[in-house]
Amino acid sequence: MRSFLNAVVFTVAVVGFFIYVCMYVTGLSGGGGGGGATGVSPEAGEKIFWGDGQCHTCHRIGTSGSATRGPDQEGLAARAEERAKETGLGSGLEYMVESIVNPSSHVVEGFDDIMPKVYDPPIMLDREKILAVLTYLQTLGGEPDIDAVAKFKDKIPEASKTKVVPWVPPIEVDPKEGEAVFFDETRDVTCSKCHVLNGKGSKVGPDLTGIGAVQTPQYLIESVLKPSDVIVKGFETMYLMTNDGMAYNGLLVSQDEEEVVLMVDEDGVMAEYVFYPDEIAQMQKQDVSIMPGNLSEMLTTKEFYGIISFLLSQK
Amino acid sequence: MDNIEPFINFTSRKLQYRVLFTLFLAIFLLALATGTGMAQENAEAAKTTEASAEATAEAEPEAPPEPYEVVDYRNFFGIDGRLIVWIIAELHLMFAAFVLAVPIFVVIIEMIGVKSGDIRFDNLAREFTKLLSAAFATTASLGGLLAFALYGLYPAFMRYMTDVFHPFMFIYALCFFGEVFCLYGYYYSWDLLSKTPKGKWIHISIGVMLNLFGTALMMLANSWATFMMSPGGINMETGTVTSLYHAFYNFLWMPVNIHRIIANVAFGGFVVGAYAAVKFMGSKTDEERAHYDWMGYIGNFIGLGALIPLPFAGYYLGREVYSASPVMGNIMMGGAFSWTFIIQAILIGMLFIGGNYYLWNGMSRIKGAERYTPYIKYINMVIFFCFAVWLTPHNLPLSGEERALIGEQYHPFSKFFGVMAAKNAVVNLLILSTFFSFLLYRRANKGETKPFSSHGSGARITLIITVGLTVMYLAWYALGLRGLDMEENILRYVSPLVSCLVIQIFAIVIALLLTFANKGKLAQIFLFVVTTVMAVMYFWYYGFVVMEKANLVLRYLSVTQVSIVISCLIVNTVIDVFLFKDAKEVGGIQWGKIPHRSQYALLLLCVAIVTLMGLMGFIRSGLRMNWHIYGYMQDTSAGSFTPSIAYMGWTVGLIVILFLALVALVFWLAGLADKKKKHA
Repeated sequence: MRSFLNAVVFTVAVVGFFIYVCMYVTGLSGGGGGGGATGVSPEAGEKIFWGDGQCHTCHRIGTSGSATRGPDQEGLAARAEERAKETGLGSGLEYMVESIVNPSSHVVEGFDDIMPKVYDPPIMLDREKILAVLTYLQTLGGEPDIDAVAKFKDKIPEASKTKVVPWVPPIEVDPKEGEAVFFDETRDVTCSKCHVLNGKGSKVGPDLTGIGAVQTPQYLIESVLKPSDVIVKGFETMYLMTNDGMAYNGLLVSQDEEEVVLMVDEDGVMAEYVFYPDEIAQMQKQDVSIMPGNLSEMLTTKEFYGIISFLLSQK
Repeated sequence: MDNIEPFINFTSRKLQYRVLFTLFLAIFLLALATGTGMAQENAEAAKTTEASAEATAEAEPEAPPEPYEVVDYRNFFGIDGRLIVWIIAELHLMFAAFVLAVPIFVVIIEMIGVKSGDIRFDNLAREFTKLLSAAFATTASLGGLLAFALYGLYPAFMRYMTDVFHPFMFIYALCFFGEVFCLYGYYYSWDLLSKTPKGKWIHISIGVMLNLFGTALMMLANSWATFMMSPGGINMETGTVTSLYHAFYNFLWMPVNIHRIIANVAFGGFVVGAYAAVKFMGSKTDEERAHYDWMGYIGNFIGLGALIPLPFAGYYLGREVYSASPVMGNIMMGGAFSWTFIIQAILIGMLFIGGNYYLWNGMSRIKGAERYTPYIKYINMVIFFCFAVWLTPHNLPLSGEERALIGEQYHPFSKFFGVMAAKNAVVNLLILSTFFSFLLYRRANKGETKPFSSHGSGARITLIITVGLTVMYLAWYALGLRGLDMEENILRYVSPLVSCLVIQIFAIVIALLLTFANKGKLAQIFLFVVTTVMAVMYFWYYGFVVMEKANLVLRYLSVTQVSIVISCLIVNTVIDVFLFKDAKEVGGIQWGKIPHRSQYALLLLCVAIVTLMGLMGFIRSGLRMNWHIYGYMQDTSAGSFTPSIAYMGWTVGLIVILFLALVALVFWLAGLADKKKKHA
């Protein structure tokens, strides 16, 4: 019995130590979560940056914070002005707004395209909070201008807390039929000849694995019907003319001092062409996608919406 | 002089049982009376409402009946529903971990018993199963309670979960039947099937079936929990199920399955270790002490054996959490939950220190171990150093004065310990050090070894296959790194990782050749040194380079580091097995001759792993923040906030005490039958 009591006392002491550590750590870390920040002001924005917005989990500001997944935001306002000039935007503030509304549009070199849209689930910052964060970001190497920030109000989507009406195809379709068309190798033009999905297909165009989780139906429909409107970075078409007058259009596979490799469509079959620098007369990026622009003529309406439904189910 | 029997014999068992029964009846009747009172109160309140309603009806036209109100959340008699679910779920999970883990090693121990012909293993397996059957009923009851709590307190959420997973719920029930039949079949047929070798193997087969059903149950329940974290197969706007398969086999399902199986084994091992420790401390005879010392050793062996690969499984799970949702990953490692990992580091540090301390104490019962005791202080220093680095917070907050004195936000030295590069390095060093302790313990009793060549072709083939598979894995990962699709300026930071993998492949092949040349010890030392230099020293430094210049490469660095360490552990273990096969014994192991203080190490291991399970349960579940189903169904209840770490500490502390008290009660009940037999 005595040994059992000793064991009980020992156990309670260890658990007590654990609780003490938890209380001590709470004292160290604090309980600040950005809650209660209201209004559009740099102070509210700072609270949100380090709290509800979860910005600090990827960005540090100089010696405050230590995250390295995203760029250091020290001096951001000044840097944003330079970036705005480079990208043809009106102001540094516009650059910051665009970076928040559509994070993939301005990915800083050396960093991955991982920033979520903060107004979407799961973060779901409302418009006022995003405006507050913008005013705070203005103070990092600049002066806050709440009026200027407020002008971008309409550009910032409102966080959706209510359920959005689901997308329904205009005709009844079966995603399984869409899947069959996607991988149908007997057709002249097949999606899987250029796109990988769940490890199947060829890696000419962007990998579509999990595309349903990150893209809207509208984006997918437009990407199929008008592939040149939005070309995913890294998949732009390259025009190349050799010294002997031969012209090629294709995807740039690699480029270094010794050679340039293009992936060229040869009657539906993708082939790699290697060019040496001394045989290239001209080379420039095109704003036309290599993806066929006449897919609407090649697919029936049912097949088309079947593919869209199938892609949307890929989460 | 006549013995006069006292009027009331307070030491009588019968009387004690009567008192207990009377107390039970009193509590039961009190509860019943309270319930009746409450019902009467409700009835009176209803009567009052009716009376006032009648009075109103006289004055006004009859009001339409109140419509049926659909409730999304409820409280439990004024207590926050989340707290109730938290406590019950965690208790269920802990008991489930025990009843899932114990059959795994019980069957293995029984097989060892059959193969070696040592009846002690069979008896040990049986004793563990006795604990298992007693704990099983409690697990099932807690499971039922959890289901009622969830359906009662979170009806809307459970309605949706039922809509999605109802086919699997029936499979779950069937698997549960399977487990019940196998468990009781396994336990009650022990004597019957032990009479013939064929019968024994049938018995073992029932044990294997028990494990299969248990694992299936765990995996089914895991899919529901992981669906809440990384939902798949549903439309994230409407909730419509688009693929039941993807809802079940969601992104985090397999990483959690792997992590839980390994963690359960460690948990089960340490809990039976603590049971043995308490029994050892209360033992009256040398025979009992020897038995429970041995049992404690086996429990610790199982627990530590599973603990060594656990950080790798944990890293894999963490990485997949990040892949499933970068937002969730960031909350975990850099946001609200980052501080909980400091507490995790303390608990894991306790486990490693406790485990090593027990091993070193255990060496005192082995003659010949004194040859290795001088090394222990160095291992101890390394382990404490690793522990200190691991628990250095990422952002150690400094006061204004400290900051002014230092001149920057971070401490000039500790800033190098708080980041991932340092923590990964020390975790790997901690694992290598503990493995080294294990090897010392294994050879404590061994003297002159036999040359490797004397073990025949079987040993050679086993070693070649082990090395072949390990090298194939390393080469496969190196080729994967070479083929990474990244920008050129980042890709160049991957090259050193490939080089390290190639060096490790060469080191393993050299270790193989040295072993074949009867220089097994040299081979082990060589592999240890190469692994430590690369995976600990070089990657510690290179981690900082990568963090600064090419952060994207850090995840590949961690996997490379882990792969190199695992390859060393696997190859060195197989070399060790053959190195000390049939080696001369210096002196026997004197079971029971171990200091009492070592038993507190076993208790510490048990309390630490139970607490760790409670903490990790909080982290895993809390990562969803204010979402029931991450990104789809929000938690709009009053309890949707993330509790403070102090609140978590109190709750987990309460859960740990409740669990250990219940376990003690269940084990005591299981032991009553034995006492009865002994007295008879």
